[in-house]
Formats: sequence, structure tokens, C-alpha cells
Amino acid sequence: MSAFLDHLPEFWEGLIVTLQLIAASFAGAVVVGVAITAMRVSPVGVLRGIGTAYVETFQNLPLLVLLVLAVFGLPEIGIKASLLVTAVVVIALYEAAYIAEALRSGVNAIAVGQGEAARALGLTFGQSLRHVVLPQALRTVIQPMGNIFIALAMNTALAGAVGVVDLTAAANRVNLMEAQPIPIFIGAGLAYALIAACAGFVTGRLERRLVMIR
Amino acid sequence: MVSLKRMAAVAAVSMIGLSACAGTDSGSSAVPGATKSGSDLLAAAPVAAAADILPGSTMEKIKQRGELIVGGSLDAPLLSQQNPVTGEIEGFDADMGKALAKYIIGEPKVKMVNAASETREALLGNGTVDVVLQTYTITPERAEQVAFAGPYYSSGLTIAVKKGATGIAKPEDLNGKTVIAGANTPAIPAIKKLAPQAKIVTFGSDPECMQALKQDRGVAYVQDETLLIANAQKDPSVQIIGSPFTSDPYGIGLKHGDDQFKKFVNDWLLKIQADGLWQKTWKNSLGTVVQGEAPTPPQIGSVPGS
Amino acid sequence: MSSLLFDEPGPRARRRIRIATVVGAVAVLGLLALAVRQFAANGQLDADRWQPYATWPMWRYLLNGLWSTALAAVVSAALSMAAGLMLALGRLSRRRWVRLPAATYVEVVRTVPALLLVYLVLFALPRYGLDLPLFWKLVVPLSVSNAAAFAEIFRAGIGSIERGQSEAGLAVGLTYGRTMRLIVLPQAARRVLPSIVSQSVGLLKDTSLGFVVSYAELLYSGKVLATYNGLLIQTYIIVALTYLVVNASLSKLARVLEARTPQARRPRRSLIRA
Repeated sequence: MSAFLDHLPEFWEGLIVTLQLIAASFAGAVVVGVAITAMRVSPVGVLRGIGTAYVETFQNLPLLVLLVLAVFGLPEIGIKASLLVTAVVVIALYEAAYIAEALRSGVNAIAVGQGEAARALGLTFGQSLRHVVLPQALRTVIQPMGNIFIALAMNTALAGAVGVVDLTAAANRVNLMEAQPIPIFIGAGLAYALIAACAGFVTGRLERRLVMIR
Repeated sequence: MVSLKRMAAVAAVSMIGLSACAGTDSGSSAVPGATKSGSDLLAAAPVAAAADILPGSTMEKIKQRGELIVGGSLDAPLLSQQNPVTGEIEGFDADMGKALAKYIIGEPKVKMVNAASETREALLGNGTVDVVLQTYTITPERAEQVAFAGPYYSSGLTIAVKKGATGIAKPEDLNGKTVIAGANTPAIPAIKKLAPQAKIVTFGSDPECMQALKQDRGVAYVQDETLLIANAQKDPSVQIIGSPFTSDPYGIGLKHGDDQFKKFVNDWLLKIQADGLWQKTWKNSLGTVVQGEAPTPPQIGSVPGS
Repeated sequence: MSSLLFDEPGPRARRRIRIATVVGAVAVLGLLALAVRQFAANGQLDADRWQPYATWPMWRYLLNGLWSTALAAVVSAALSMAAGLMLALGRLSRRRWVRLPAATYVEVVRTVPALLLVYLVLFALPRYGLDLPLFWKLVVPLSVSNAAAFAEIFRAGIGSIERGQSEAGLAVGLTYGRTMRLIVLPQAARRVLPSIVSQSVGLLKDTSLGFVVSYAELLYSGKVLATYNGLLIQTYIIVALTYLVVNASLSKLARVLEARTPQARRPRRSLIRA
């Protein structure tokens, strides 16, 4: 256990980076995911096509490949950002595809009458999306969103492979020095489990407060 | 600058293209700095006298099996790099493995087990591999878990920077700067020791580290000298600072306590150092990027732990 | 074209749609063109940087990697599905001592990154004398983590079968086990088929962790190729495209399967046109 306690500062720094990765990329993923969903239900064919292509592409590529490509490829097209920012953007774009899928099934779960009613009231496409469809869709997908959040938190570990010193990378480095894998990796695993448990707790509360009885 | 790089790339590519068009699986290497398959080299490699293969020894076991199982890498240029065209593994470590196999078995038959650097002790301990040839630095700590024959080669870490960069002349200058290193390489503890305030960024492979250096992800890249020399030759936008600041004697990892086998391998090393095979192997791999004659091979057993 | 969220567009709306189409297309194409131009300006599109990938040996090497990827994915999919089914049944068991461990396993494993499990198998197990061959160093942690995901899929599937089905089974005198096996599971399996395929695609993507283990799957093969020819970006683009083609085909297969299942009901009216 001493290997874990002796290196608390390193673990702490890694944990902070992991939390930054999770928070920033989840926020980004929600924004992009909602935008993609809006595109996929829009009347403009090109936008629907872009939305579908986006989801197909990002769901079918391993995150690790995307990370490596972005870190080394983006500077070649003139986009230079720090490793942390690059990782946040890539993870956000990647998870946005999953959020868009979840939202789409959420939209599909809404009774058709809701859309018809919105139209009958004379709401435009944008208005019915904003006031009627998306708020309901967001509620039905709280549980799936919680799962995506947990998956995203787990996926941030891959940022370590492209030079970001997150919790997993910090644990790996400490292990290289101390060679005590069991306490080191189990300690890191507990931290992730704690993050996921918090997410589970929050989604549980949200669901109880917001869920609609049909 | 660019044109040189491009020329090298053109040469490399056209050779790949040629060998592919001709449909031959010849061992001719496509990339400057990589090695030949070393078959002419192995023709001259010695074979142990039957009397040296003691009954009941590890050597006899290997000879009866008909192949030597080596723990090594697929992606260490100049040392142990798989050539995708032929599937052969090429480089100094790889050739040493083949020569050792020929010495024991009579034929250079090697089975390569791709070893992660953290699991080498375990691979030797439970007998998954016979020997480890993988830039395995001899240290007294490691010698408590494995036996080392050799050292068979001595190398060291050095620093590469972008051409024209200033302010870095020795490892201590890295303090407070961002330094690139290969993940899980000895460079990480070495930097931590000499420049504790340096911020280390790690990437998975040598070309990734080089790309990162060129894209300013860090001001310096610490890596084994030979590898950096090869990189600087291929890529003129990078230069090397000074001479190596560490000394890493590489040993051949063997099962702990197998003194019989250790003596056998050490005798073989002495033999190939004396008859010039060691020097030829060096010329054929590392020597393709380093100017001058082969260095004097390190003295067997000269390092604590060996 | 019709959707419930907007009317059949009139002349003005149609003009607006046309404008949006043009603007959207121009924006996307413009961005792409800009990226490609920058990329070319940096010499990354030079023919000699791509030509190796017009030769067979490079592809042979990558396809070997793809084969290893497929092998690892298939073996760990089989293992984790079997384990997942056991866990799902365990979680639904009436006996507490079966239910609790199964639930604990699923809840704990679901919240540990696969990469961390890989590190545990890679670094921790050898210290206790268990040094697995490379293949298993990748397959074991992937199976351990995906078993939890499959367990949840199966549990959801079993839960979605109407209660009357199992009640009817019990009523005609079948045991609990036979009711499950003969009535509930076959229906549940059909219902969760799409989720199983998409989880399998996820698993195939996870095999890219072989990069860390140095098991020679597709991404690691790309790494070896890049150290050999120095064409880092080109190699990873090719690797990415290969993953994309394989996984997109699998996803397509999933949709075909979904449409073909005997139970596939006529799609109910929904807000989104498929």
C-alpha cells in the first residue's frame, strides 16, 4: 500500500487531469450530440446526410486510432493545440456520436401525437424541436446518457496513450518506478469506480425527479 | 532540407515498389539504415562443438527442440525491427539471436516472442523463452531475478532537438522544459534523475516521438543514441546534442541460476568477438548509420550484475 | 418527403431548404478542401508518401494484423457472451447468494477502464507466476470487461419478455430452468440481437488495445509499419480506413439482421424517418 501512499501527489495530479478530461469532453459531447440529432431530424437532406455520416464514422472507428490521428495529423493541417485540448476535443466528438444515437432513440420514443400537437399549435420546426421534442427526448434518455457518461469516463484512460498524463498514465508511471502493480492499479481502479458511482447516483436522482409517467 | 528528406523517401519507396513489382521476397531492405537479412553473415557464424552441448543442459534442450526461443521486439529500428516485406526480423539484436541459434543448433532457427519490457523477467522465469535479446540493460537489481550473459553491446541515452534550438547542452538543461520520451523506456527514470523538474511527455513509438518533436510537443527527445543517429540521418531537421550521458550495457537475459548456460553463452560471445563476427554484425546493422569502424566490444562480465 | 415535425414544404420553405442545402454542402466541402490543401502544403499528400500502400507486401502485413484483430475479437466475444449470459441469469436468480456476486461483478467491472484491466493482466499477473501468451493478455481483460456489458444486454432482453410468457411456461408445468431455456431466452436473444452486434463492434474496436500489449493486431501492425517506413500519418489513416470499412460492414449486417428477424414488426410511426 505504501507505493500508493508515497506517490499521492502524482495520483492526485492524474486524477485532476482525468476529471478535466471527463467534464470538458462530456459537456462538448452533449452540445455536439444535440446538434447532430437536430441535423438528423431536419428537413434539409444534406444536413441529415452529414449527421448520419458523422454518427457512422465515429461509431465505427476505435477511439485510440482517432486520438493518434488527431494528435499527429492535426498539426499537419495547421491546427496546433495542446495534448489535453486535442484529447478533450477528440473524446467529445467521439462520444457525441453515441449521444446522438441515444437521443435519436429518445426522439423515436416520443409519441407521434406530441409532434402532431406541436405542429397543430403552429410551432415551427425549430420551436417544436426546442419546446416539445428535445426536452422529452432528453428525459427518456437519462439512463442511457448515464451509461455513456460512464463509458466516456473509462475512455478518457486512452488519452494516456497520446502523452496526456491522466490517472491511468500516472498509475503506469508510478508502477514503472515502484513495480508494485497490485496496489497501484487497484487504487486507480477505485478512483474510476468512485467517479462512475457518483454518475450512477446523479442519474438515479435525475431520473426520479424528471421521469415522465406515461 | 525538405528535398533531402524527400529524396530519402523516394528512394525508400521506389525500392519497396521495385521489390514488390518483381514479386521477390528478397531480404533487400527498403529503408536507409535498416539492415540486410544477414544471411551471408550467418553463413560464416560458428557452430558449437558437440562436446560443448552438455547432456541435460539448456543447450541440449534447445538443440533437440530445433529452435531458439527469443524474447524481443518487432519495432526497434536497427536492433530488432520486423520487415513487413519479408516478415523477417532485422537488426543487431535479431542477428545476434540468429547467430546464437546457429551456434547451438547448427541452423539459425529462431522463434520470436514479442516481449513487453515489464514482463521479461517473468518470461525467463517460467521458461517461455530461452533468452531475451531486447536492449536489456544489466543492473544488479535485475540480476537478482535473471542471469545476464555479456554485456554484448554498450549504448547510452542522448538528446535530440530541432535544428537551431538553443539552450540545451547537457541533460541538466532539460529542467523546467517539456521533454519527449518513449513510453516505458529507460529514458524516463534517467531524465527524472538528472533533470527532476523536466516535464516528461511519452508516446508509444519512435516515429511518434520524432513527429512530436517536429510538431513542438516538447523541446527535446531523449532516446538511445543509435536510434537518434539514424533518425537525424533520415531527417535533417533534427540534430543531436553532445555524446551519450548514460552508459547502458546490454546483456543477454537468461534464466536465473542457469550458470551452465550463462558460461556457454559467454564463451560464444568471446568467440564471435575474437573471430570478427560481432564486428561484422555491428557493421551490418548499427554500422549502417554510424560512421567509422565497429567499436571495441564490451568486456564480458565487466559490469556489476553480469 | 414527409416528417411529422414539418409540413410538406411550400415554395418559400423549399427555397429556404435549397439555400440551407447549398450552404451546408459548401461549408462541409470548403472545410474539407481547406484541410486537404493544408495537408498537401505540408507534403503529406506527396505521392511517394502514399505509394507504399499501393504495394501488396504492406497490405499483406496489415491484413495479417486484421486477421489477428478478428481472431481476438471473435474469441473474446464468444467468451464474454457466455459469461454475460451466466451473469444475467445469475442476477435474475431467486437465490441471494447467486444474485449478489453476479450483480457485484457487473457493477464493479462496468466502472473500471478496460485499459486498467489490461495493465493489471500485463504487469500484475506475471508477478504471481501467471504470464499469459500475448493473445490472452489482450483477450482476457477484454472478455472480463465485455462480459459485464453483455450481461446487461441479456438482462434487459430477458426483462423485456412479457411476464405472461414465463407464467404460461410455469403454468404448463415446466421447471424454472426449462421455462428460461425453452421460452424466455430464445425470444430474448432475438430481441437483443442488434445490441449484441453493436456491442461486438465495440469489442472489435477495443482490440486496438493490442497496441498497448504489443499483440500484433491491426493497430499494432500499423505501429510496426510506421517504425519501418517512417510514414506515421499515412499509416494511421490507412489503418483508420480499414477499421471503418470492417465495422461499417458489421453495422450494416446488424441492420439487415434486424430487418429479417421473424419478429420484426412493421416499424411503428415515429418522428424520424429512417
